[in-house]
Amino acid sequence: MEFFFNLVPLIPLIPLLAFAAIVLFTHRNNRLSSNIAIGGIALSTLVSWGVVLATILAGEHVQVEGWELPIPWLPTGTTVFNTGFAVDGFTAAMLFMVPFVCTMIFIYSQGYMNLGQPNQDPRYARFFAYISLFAAGMLGLVVADNLLLLFISWEVMGLCSYLLIGFWSFRDRDNEQHIDEAQVKRARAAALKAFITTRVGDVLLFSGLALLFSYTGTLTFREIFRPDMLEHLGSISLLGMPAVTVIALLAFGGAVGKSAQFPLHVWLPDAMEGPTPVSALIHAATMVAAGVYLVARMLPLFVAGFETANAPALQWVAVIGAITAFFGATIGLAQDDIKRVLAYSTISQLGYMMMGLGLGSLVAGIFHLLTHAFFKALLFLGSGSVIHGMEHGHHAAGAHGQTSQHDDGFSANDMKTMGGLRHKMPRTFWPYMAGTLALVGIVPFAGFWSKDEILAEAFQRWQESGALGLPFWVWLAGTLGALITALYMGRQIALVFWGEPRHEAATHAHESPNSMTGPLMVLAVFALIGGLANAPFLGSPLHHFMGGVHEASEVVHSATVSFNFAVAGLSTVVALLGLLGGWAIYRNYRAGEVEPFQRWLGPIFTLLRNKYYVDELYQLVIIRPVVWLADQVFNFDNRWVVDPLVNLVGAVGRAAADISLLFDKVAVDSGLVEGTAKAFNAFGGWLRQTQTGRVQNYLLVVAVTVLMLLGLYLYL
Amino acid sequence: MTLNQLLTLLLPEIVLTVAAFVVLGLDLIWRGDEVRGRWLPWVAFLGVLLTLVATIAVWPMAGVGGRPLALTVGQGFGGDAIPMMALDGLALFFKLFTVLVLLIVTLSAGEYVQTHTPFRGEFYALMLLAGLSIMLASAATNLVMIYLAIEFLSITSYVLTGYLRDDPRSTEAAIKYFIYGAGASAVMLYGFSLLYGATGTTDLAAIATALTAGSTTVRWLVFPATIMALAGLGFKIALVPFHQWSPDAYEGAPTPVTAFLSVGPKAAGFAVLMRLLLTALPGFQVDWVGVLAGVAIITMSLGNLVALRQTNVKRLLAYSSIAQAGYMLIGLAALAPLSESWTTGLNGLLLYLFAYLFTNLGAFAIVIAVENRTGSAQISDFAGLIRRAPFLAVAMFIFLLSLIGIPPTGGFLGKLFVFGAAIQQRMILLAVVGIINSVVSVYYYYAIIREMFFGQAGDAESIPVTPSLKLVVGVNAVMVLAIALYAEPFIRLATESVQMLAAKF
Repeated sequence: MEFFFNLVPLIPLIPLLAFAAIVLFTHRNNRLSSNIAIGGIALSTLVSWGVVLATILAGEHVQVEGWELPIPWLPTGTTVFNTGFAVDGFTAAMLFMVPFVCTMIFIYSQGYMNLGQPNQDPRYARFFAYISLFAAGMLGLVVADNLLLLFISWEVMGLCSYLLIGFWSFRDRDNEQHIDEAQVKRARAAALKAFITTRVGDVLLFSGLALLFSYTGTLTFREIFRPDMLEHLGSISLLGMPAVTVIALLAFGGAVGKSAQFPLHVWLPDAMEGPTPVSALIHAATMVAAGVYLVARMLPLFVAGFETANAPALQWVAVIGAITAFFGATIGLAQDDIKRVLAYSTISQLGYMMMGLGLGSLVAGIFHLLTHAFFKALLFLGSGSVIHGMEHGHHAAGAHGQTSQHDDGFSANDMKTMGGLRHKMPRTFWPYMAGTLALVGIVPFAGFWSKDEILAEAFQRWQESGALGLPFWVWLAGTLGALITALYMGRQIALVFWGEPRHEAATHAHESPNSMTGPLMVLAVFALIGGLANAPFLGSPLHHFMGGVHEASEVVHSATVSFNFAVAGLSTVVALLGLLGGWAIYRNYRAGEVEPFQRWLGPIFTLLRNKYYVDELYQLVIIRPVVWLADQVFNFDNRWVVDPLVNLVGAVGRAAADISLLFDKVAVDSGLVEGTAKAFNAFGGWLRQTQTGRVQNYLLVVAVTVLMLLGLYLYL
Repeated sequence: MTLNQLLTLLLPEIVLTVAAFVVLGLDLIWRGDEVRGRWLPWVAFLGVLLTLVATIAVWPMAGVGGRPLALTVGQGFGGDAIPMMALDGLALFFKLFTVLVLLIVTLSAGEYVQTHTPFRGEFYALMLLAGLSIMLASAATNLVMIYLAIEFLSITSYVLTGYLRDDPRSTEAAIKYFIYGAGASAVMLYGFSLLYGATGTTDLAAIATALTAGSTTVRWLVFPATIMALAGLGFKIALVPFHQWSPDAYEGAPTPVTAFLSVGPKAAGFAVLMRLLLTALPGFQVDWVGVLAGVAIITMSLGNLVALRQTNVKRLLAYSSIAQAGYMLIGLAALAPLSESWTTGLNGLLLYLFAYLFTNLGAFAIVIAVENRTGSAQISDFAGLIRRAPFLAVAMFIFLLSLIGIPPTGGFLGKLFVFGAAIQQRMILLAVVGIINSVVSVYYYYAIIREMFFGQAGDAESIPVTPSLKLVVGVNAVMVLAIALYAEPFIRLATESVQMLAAKF
């Protein structure tokens, strides 16, 4: 089975080739393009699972120490910069999830983009090219054995997220009803926002990498994590901290941007403007997982030089994670857009993962990442199916003449227009319920086990320290967050699937095609049983599989947290209460009423609905001043100073070229040559007599040059 | 060394010679223009392929420090066997280089030769012989051998330049080239004679020994000798101020010959210059580094500035290749014999040459394709190429990126190394001038890109491309990218090729 490891480079390469093939050759044939994309990612999944199996069979020496394929790439001075691929237990765990979830999303996309229907997306092939590249980026990131390849993949994903979030930012044809002027504007703004916001994090990450490289001369994980290297990094002081902590915090900055942690979380909800499969891709398997993956991969840098319990970099991760987990969840309470609720839920769940990592527990954070990827992909695809059904219902209603085709108030995403869909869309409803129960954390669904492990970890830390320190607050935020998560999910399923239809569209909604519901069911299975991967009563298999990957650094240790019935019981009670409460409150909500939370919470609800006004704050403090400054700079550049200067320089350059040409022709060929010829009269006369034409001049230049150089030499 | 051993080590040269004569012979024997026109290029191509095989076969035989080949067969002449050539890393590098040039040029010449001249056999034979002379020149370690090889190269080049004898421009170019070359070669020979007079030997290594051991009174002759040799080799490389023949010759010569001239003789010139300076005159580095640096600066600057105003692509590429040679010369000037990484500059020079080989020949193959269709090679003929021949336009884009030196292309890697060497050597001025010149060059390379992608084609008809030209363009484009993306093997090749020169320090 070790043979399979040699195929690792293929894992990111196959989707990349699919991207190239679609862009270069098959983009005119829509069906073929999407089949190539799906075939590519499916093949990649097969290879990945082969690698996972090989890792399982290979035992500890691969799972802990890792398999490597270094490729000497670019010599830098006397050393060679290696890039390459590596697989260990952690990578294998990611390889189990990422390509598979991507495959499900790809298959789903074929239905969602209406292949073969009259309303098929006009940029259908391009969509599949982009998502293939997206998947290639994520897979490259996972199998990279060094930070450079990781960063390149990271940026590839950044580019793809920009392209895909803005996918509906222009319309070519009139038959694209789903794109109106407002949609175009929103998509443009959202794409830009995602790109720029994550860029803030990327710059931090890049400076971290540059710093790291300048101190160590390498970006390969194995070499960075050597104990002596970490000690060396820890002994250098920078800004009053050990350099290693500064690097870790800068890298965490990158993760905050990519994984939408507070305060750079603002781009993720807006990323909903892309097609729904993209949301699933970004929220589950790829983009946001990358930030968590980065922190987990670089965990030794966060700990180095300190005890796990009081490493400052790690504490920052925990604090940011806890804040994000709690506040993200509260915003989710007050949103009406079905996908926006899920977006804030993602932000909140990513906060949980960061909490787990911030407590120093690699496995807890990654376990939640893995289970979350499955059930969040499920929820997003399910919401896409609901939206799809609503859109069709809206058309159908229009066709029946019961509503006008363009009643402006209607949005297929608005939960308050839905209702009663569990009868109309049963094959969407049941998987969606599985996803909901997993997210809320009901035994035995996947989310229960993973969330519980994080909370148990925090609880145990609290007990060990015995004071109301950071672990306590993390635990409290997590538990309260679990309650709120259950509340907003209860509200959501009640609004979407229960009650009476609140709009004509919901009345006429119908089930989505099999290519969409099929992946939902597959993912639902994983939402149900995914938790077994690390269930305590099975002996925490995942823990043994990947817990040891950072052992070699001698700073990160893996220890299992025993199952804590008090913690698990409390969170289950909380989850059940919230879910049933939310469901009960909203089950009989009718269109047009003031909703219950708004009645009870009043101004707080308004605050939540406006997402704590963070966007407005950024608008006021950052965007407006920057735009003003840009205007001034533009004026400075274009009108007053620089442009005229540039024109002047251009003119001078052209003049210099003219003069040089003139010089070559006139001065060198005739002026200088003939002038010198007069000086060396006899010599020139002789040349003139023996030869004709311009070659004479050329040769004279040779002679003069040689003589001049000799003269110079003899004179000096 | 027995005759057998000698013949084995000379195998690539022998195969190439035989191939040339086979082409000549077949040209006489075969009746029927049709058959000859179609098959002679492939016979030549096959001959070059066999040469490649022979080169690879002798590759392991070159020991560390090189294996000298003394051309005194038998004992009849008396005296010592004087080494004439060497089979070392550098020689092997240039053998490989020459084979690649010949492969590409014979493939891309096909249709052009077919339509432009009735004398096809001699064309390919001369091309192969010119290649042979490059191999000989780059392996020569003796002043006499160097001179003979360079002359051999010159004469074949003159004939090839004037090959379209009904075309007055071609004839004029050949005459100019010939007269200029004769002058330059005389100057070089005079320089060689000074070296011989000062040391009493023509063997490069022996010259070095004699100069360090011998009397100091003759040492003042070395600098004049260097300058004169530089005039001859600078003519081959087309360094300013020995460049003036090149735009005329490039423009007048048949385009495949221009492609060959812009790469082959330059490589030969650089190979000989490296050997001469590093093997025979290492002790006089202080003298020649300044001259080389000065020549590099004016070569880059003049080449680029004059290229700005060109409207003919062949002439533009001529001036651009002058400038490119200037960049390469930086690698030789920025040599640091005493430091640990002293080969960076030479590495850069060889890498640059290697990338330049694919870049320039690829660009010329595209010029040939366009010229075959439109009959001329003005920049305006490239207008709208992206619609008329998208493949050519994209490939040309890659080649132009490489000429500018933008990653991920081989040209970037070459520039990175030579500029890096200059900075390492604290020759900041050299690096700065090089970088400024790279920026200036963007202007005229971009003019072609702009025409190709945004220009309005007067003629919207698509341009058909023969399969062999397509192959050449495709392979070259891939190689240009491969050199940058997977640089390690190429860098190793370059490093190993200069190892032998290291032994001489």
